[in-house]
Amino acid sequence: MTQQWLSLDPPIPHTHTHTHTHGCSFLVMAILAQLSRTSRSACWFRHRKQLFSSFRRHALIRRSMASDPAATDTTRFDFLVIGGGSGGLAGARRASELGAATAVIESHKLGGTCVSKNFKPPVMWNAAVHAEYLHDHNDYGFDVGNVRFSWETLKAKRDAYIGHLNRIYRSNLDKAKIQTIQGHARFTSDPEPTVEVNGKKYTAPHILIATGGQPSVLCDDEVPGASLGITSDGFFELETLPKRSVIVGAGYIAVEMAGILSTLGSKTSLVIRQTTVLRNFDSLISTNCTKEMQNSGVDLWKNSQVKSVRKTDKGLEVTIATKDPEKKNEEEKIRTIQEVDCLLWAIGRQPNSSGLNIGEMIVDTDEKGHIVVDEFQNTSRAGIYAVGDVCGKALLTPVAIAAGRKLAHRLFEGKKDSKLDYSTIPTVVFSHPPIGTVGLTEDEAIKARGKENVKIYKTSFTPMYHAITSRKSQCIMKLVCVGKEEKVVGLHMQGLGCDEMLQGFTVAIKMGATKADFDKTIAIHPTSSEEFVTMR
Amino acid sequence: MAALWRGRHRWKRTNCLHVLTRNLTGKYDYDLVVIGGGSGGLACSKEAAQLGQKVAVLDHVEPSVKGTKWGLGGTCVNVGCIPKKLMHQAALLGTAVKDAKKFGWQISEPICHDWSTMADAVQNHVRSLNWGHRVQLQDKKVKYLNIKGSLLDEHTVKGLTKAGKEVGCLFIIRHLSIPGAMEHGITSDDIFWLKKSPGKTLVVGASYVALECAGFLTGIGLDTTVMVRSIALRGFDQQMAGLVTDYMEAYGTKFAWQCVPKRVDKLSSGVLQVTWMDNNTGNEHKDTYDSVLWAVGRAPETKALGLDKLGVQLDKETGKIVVGADESTSVPNIYAFGDIGEGRPELTPTAIKAGKLLARRLARHSAELMNYDSVPTTVFTPLEYGCVGLSEEEAEKRLGKDGIEVYHAFYKPLEFTVAERDASQCYLKVICERDGDQKILGLHFTGPNAGEVTQGFALAFQCGATYSHLLQTVGIHPTCAEELTKVNITKRSGLDATVTGC
Repeated sequence: MTQQWLSLDPPIPHTHTHTHTHGCSFLVMAILAQLSRTSRSACWFRHRKQLFSSFRRHALIRRSMASDPAATDTTRFDFLVIGGGSGGLAGARRASELGAATAVIESHKLGGTCVSKNFKPPVMWNAAVHAEYLHDHNDYGFDVGNVRFSWETLKAKRDAYIGHLNRIYRSNLDKAKIQTIQGHARFTSDPEPTVEVNGKKYTAPHILIATGGQPSVLCDDEVPGASLGITSDGFFELETLPKRSVIVGAGYIAVEMAGILSTLGSKTSLVIRQTTVLRNFDSLISTNCTKEMQNSGVDLWKNSQVKSVRKTDKGLEVTIATKDPEKKNEEEKIRTIQEVDCLLWAIGRQPNSSGLNIGEMIVDTDEKGHIVVDEFQNTSRAGIYAVGDVCGKALLTPVAIAAGRKLAHRLFEGKKDSKLDYSTIPTVVFSHPPIGTVGLTEDEAIKARGKENVKIYKTSFTPMYHAITSRKSQCIMKLVCVGKEEKVVGLHMQGLGCDEMLQGFTVAIKMGATKADFDKTIAIHPTSSEEFVTMR
Repeated sequence: MAALWRGRHRWKRTNCLHVLTRNLTGKYDYDLVVIGGGSGGLACSKEAAQLGQKVAVLDHVEPSVKGTKWGLGGTCVNVGCIPKKLMHQAALLGTAVKDAKKFGWQISEPICHDWSTMADAVQNHVRSLNWGHRVQLQDKKVKYLNIKGSLLDEHTVKGLTKAGKEVGCLFIIRHLSIPGAMEHGITSDDIFWLKKSPGKTLVVGASYVALECAGFLTGIGLDTTVMVRSIALRGFDQQMAGLVTDYMEAYGTKFAWQCVPKRVDKLSSGVLQVTWMDNNTGNEHKDTYDSVLWAVGRAPETKALGLDKLGVQLDKETGKIVVGADESTSVPNIYAFGDIGEGRPELTPTAIKAGKLLARRLARHSAELMNYDSVPTTVFTPLEYGCVGLSEEEAEKRLGKDGIEVYHAFYKPLEFTVAERDASQCYLKVICERDGDQKILGLHFTGPNAGEVTQGFALAFQCGATYSHLLQTVGIHPTCAEELTKVNITKRSGLDATVTGC
């Protein structure tokens, strides 16, 4: 889980003011969110009481280690987690359950970080799905009359729900008897890995870095006026539905945001550098998703890049350069989009690793600042581990959670080979319609096994839901099989219901299912997912 | 379904010779004659034709008591799965409008539903499917005959000359034998083809057909009552059945439990007055309805096929054809599969699969038998219910209470949260062997999109999944299906099974 509000030093100084503003606006929002003040303070009080008792416990530990002079001013734990996102919390809770004295260091609201990024898009996506349904009501015999979307209503509901989740998090942590330490963690130069928070030192034989990541932004030097735009964090704090939106990026966040905004009724343009979105997905998905976006009314700017942004009294003016690399003789076209009230950068994410003083620990990072870990989440320094977005691999909540738990089992239950299998991680993109994908793409499989050993099964059809609607969208499916036994190593789909279809197939693919196993399975009629077991 | 197959000995010859054989002997007009153009019959005939057989399909629809008629494709396409799922979808959209308001959509009240718009759209789609099936038969060179077939001997179908073998089924929906039932009631054969809204409806029966019909009628805003003699969803896991009906009651469907209809009278105003006995109290009650829908089961129409004369063994109680593991009947060359086979699940995909496998075996293409275990299914009630494998009762019966471990969870779908919908019936359970690897015996799930959720797990189940296989799989966040990979509370522990947080 990412912690976009973790106030570590922003990596790009130019945008300091910018990110900071958004951080603040969130803070206000979070307080406004339906958390009743009384219940919150009561909660805090209870928590304080618990803190005292656990401090007593640690005081005992300290005394027993009195012979070690270095330990006298350093609080010791068995397991110290930096970052209170999903991955960190999951690891901390599991470690605590396994009997380890555990603490979580979080510079912002604990638990609040978990729910923010990962719950909001789907909630907004649901609202957008309703928009699609509303189009279909007449076809199904309903007279729905005049329909208008109120962003404000949805936002209030959503915040209430997230506030509710925040409370659940707090109470889960309290139950788990995990100590929370508020503040910024920074590694010290002590011989034993130690962090300092608000002048106090903490150490543990096992330290987990789970500080997450945040959306990347461009600085005004690269693109003049770039800071006039927002990121996905800011998007969820918008008070009204923008009338005119421009989204920059071709990744899944860009696709999800463009889909939500467009479906809710914002005139939306998506600016991508090449000709398709989701380029690291299977080519079938990438092509189809690009087509679906255009069909659903997203104004797609291919081979395009934002050159500059200017504020006018009617909104932003976004200047875009377009050049088809195929047509070498053609001049670069410069055009502008006027009266934009939401410019959203969705050009990737970056790790929250810079404020940790991680260099002190000689922990390896890549050029983007991601902490390099092996398959067991070990960093280059013994006793220091990392999970989640900060490692830059498979930026998904369940991955961080699973990795955190596996690590806890390895460290505190002696399960030496407890690690996460990164090869069969299912991914859902909440596009319109949604995408589900697990395992290798066709290209990856061919690269790994050779073209002659790869067999592809494909189908496309109109889901029955659309049988009687005038709005149509296709469902496409692909199985990537390798070897004589036709082991299924990849499954890719886009269509209505694909988000819920994927999970069970993932279990089977992880078990090593072959095409013959798919064929043996009896279909559930009438569903879309049955097409996977009736493919020829 | 019944299949008539020509003499086995001929088939011991190599495949490349059989066309020649037929021409030389000149004895049979067809290698395979299929009686009944339902999903199973069509699948079987197309598969056989593809394997080089000469095939004919006889399909003739007897109008229902109310006079409803339909085209090629059988129950599923015309009066079953397809129209019911579409009407279920219509009902879900009704719920979606209510939810949409919570998601910020401002919709002017009141929202009305027009039956004929929906029915026309559904019927047009079904007609397009009828047409599609005919085209497919033509493409695959299967002869389609719109005649009612019956068997003369093990190689001959009446209305035709000599044939190879035969498959067939014909159903008449059961009415209860009470006064007025036939004249004033309708069945699921009629409901999808009504021109006008059925209005206030009494659904008699608690099979999945009954509950699905009652569910979508409630969903489009009709006053609907289900009259249940004993239990709902017999044969299904009863805890799950309870959740399904609890949800329906909260959704607005009325239930008359332990009640048996006595008579139906048409009043001068045109409404139907139903008299029933409440077995709880022993009292008689009366109420009026615009429609009474009988959903008390389907009876096979085996008599018209002339099966008794040929000596094909039928089950005395159900009237269905007694079949072997290879779909054979007691008479050589005659095979039966699909709903008409005794003890077979009345499900389209099993009929399709069994039909295809039979065609392959008859053409000596493979020896693979149909596996009737691990058949997944989904009930499309307002809260959908999907399952594969054993019910908890059945697992307990086979392995004993101490032999099984049941992992379960009450979860809240994300789309229910903002919509402020009650999720107390959204539940899942995984029944495992208690010993060893904890092999999964049964998997049950109620919630939105249960059909789509269950299929993949049915595949894993088919592969022999264990409890740890579920846990080792990374969840997809946030979906309902991911809850199945996170389930960790056992029933035995007695702990609260409500899911909290990530």
